[in-house]
Amino acid sequence: MVEIYISYILRQPVVSAPVFLTLLPIFLIWRRKAYHDQVFLVLFGYLILKFGIDFIMFDWASQKKNTVLLYNLNSPLRYVLTSWMFYYKLDFKIQRVWLVISWPAFVIFALWDIIRTNPSIWDLHNHSMVLYSTTVESLLMLLWILLYFYNTIRTLKIPNLLTYPFFWICSGLLIYYSSFLFIAPVLHYASKWEQYMDIGFLYYVPYIFESVSLILFAIGISQFSDRSYAK
Amino acid sequence: MQNNDELKLVLLIASIAMLMMAFFVIMFVMYYQKKRFEEEKRISDIEKNYNRLLLDTALNSEETERRRIAQDLHDDIGTMLSLTKLSLNQLSKLVGSSGDEKEESIMKKSQSLVEETILHVRRITRDLVPTTLERFGLMEAIEEFIHKLEEDNNLVIAFQSNTEEFPRQGQKLELTLYRIMQELVNNAIKHASCTKIDIVLEIDEEMIGLRVTDNGVGFDPEKIKESNLAGLGLLGIESRLAIVNGTVQYEQPAKGGSSAIARIPVNPASGNKPEPLHPFRRERVNI
Repeated sequence: MVEIYISYILRQPVVSAPVFLTLLPIFLIWRRKAYHDQVFLVLFGYLILKFGIDFIMFDWASQKKNTVLLYNLNSPLRYVLTSWMFYYKLDFKIQRVWLVISWPAFVIFALWDIIRTNPSIWDLHNHSMVLYSTTVESLLMLLWILLYFYNTIRTLKIPNLLTYPFFWICSGLLIYYSSFLFIAPVLHYASKWEQYMDIGFLYYVPYIFESVSLILFAIGISQFSDRSYAK
Repeated sequence: MQNNDELKLVLLIASIAMLMMAFFVIMFVMYYQKKRFEEEKRISDIEKNYNRLLLDTALNSEETERRRIAQDLHDDIGTMLSLTKLSLNQLSKLVGSSGDEKEESIMKKSQSLVEETILHVRRITRDLVPTTLERFGLMEAIEEFIHKLEEDNNLVIAFQSNTEEFPRQGQKLELTLYRIMQELVNNAIKHASCTKIDIVLEIDEEMIGLRVTDNGVGFDPEKIKESNLAGLGLLGIESRLAIVNGTVQYEQPAKGGSSAIARIPVNPASGNKPEPLHPFRRERVNI
């Protein structure tokens, strides 16, 4: 089993890197006890779940199984958990209300997109990546991130952004979703077992920036301290 | 095949554009935040300087007014009282020659009242303007202040300094230290029910320290500042110190009582000495 994994890592280092890089922010949250803060508790939960799903996908991929079903199911889960952090960070109640409304709305939309894209849902071999929901997810996440940045520069509550952990988390999410926004719909055609469209290097772009975002998460978490942050 | 290549190129350009936008947003947020903070700090500094200037002007006006009142007391009332005393002396001679004891007694009482009033006017004048401070410096002024207080109160006031000759400082600085010392000592007498006060004046190359310690009931400065009326004296001390970049620290010694330490950066006196109060000149004094 380990030999298969190593072989896959050697064949697909860019794809494998974010799976194991996820462990870095998980370790740092645990080490710095950042989970005492609600935002980081949510992030902690999301990263553990992400690592679980990513590792199963890694395992399936190393055994040459189609992992798209897990990827599709991961999308609503990822949106709810990552945007949940903004629930504690957005200043206005109306913004939080819209955020909460977006959760069931997006989950229903994502499930509809999965079923619409894959009429025979248990046919794992021919399972395709969703067409719209990842793009919608990216747009929604970019909206919450930009809203948070707007609130930050409007209220001037944070004296030094470089030492503020959530700023790094937001920057990581912003870079990841920005890189993913245009590539997401194309992956529907590219991530197929058969008759796929070759998009070359672009296929690896989301993985590269996922790794970048995880490193930015780690930088942010390493700045965490109860005294200066938990306000 | 060509369409696929075009799609890849378009996607690459779009993704690069989005990433550039993301980087731009992050940089913009950081830059804008920094600028806003700098601007806020600048405004806060301007407000602070403005408040300091207002305070400085108010204290200058207060000192000028004190000096004006002192001059009026000395020039007008003081002169009138001297003339009254002179007239009473002449009248006393006339009354003395008549041999009426009752008239003589009334005359002596009047003379004594006038002399007492003259002394009161002198004391009030000196209280209003610390002439000793201007003429001889801080140490002599404090010693004079202590001497007068010990005469009027059943108090032991000790004064010590780490130097024999305290170098003259700028007039504003000397006056600030003197007024703070006055306020702290008066507070100790009024509120602390103390029997002993220690005043220590220290100077080194950079700072002047004034410590006033009493053996009274002690106090919590934070609580006193919170109650609006009682804290005015302490706020006044802080305001005066803010003008000369000084600080004040209150302590509660283990043996009881309270201690206040004011620290002010040294500011040696320039060549321009102010005119002393005597002889009086009706000029505006720039403090």
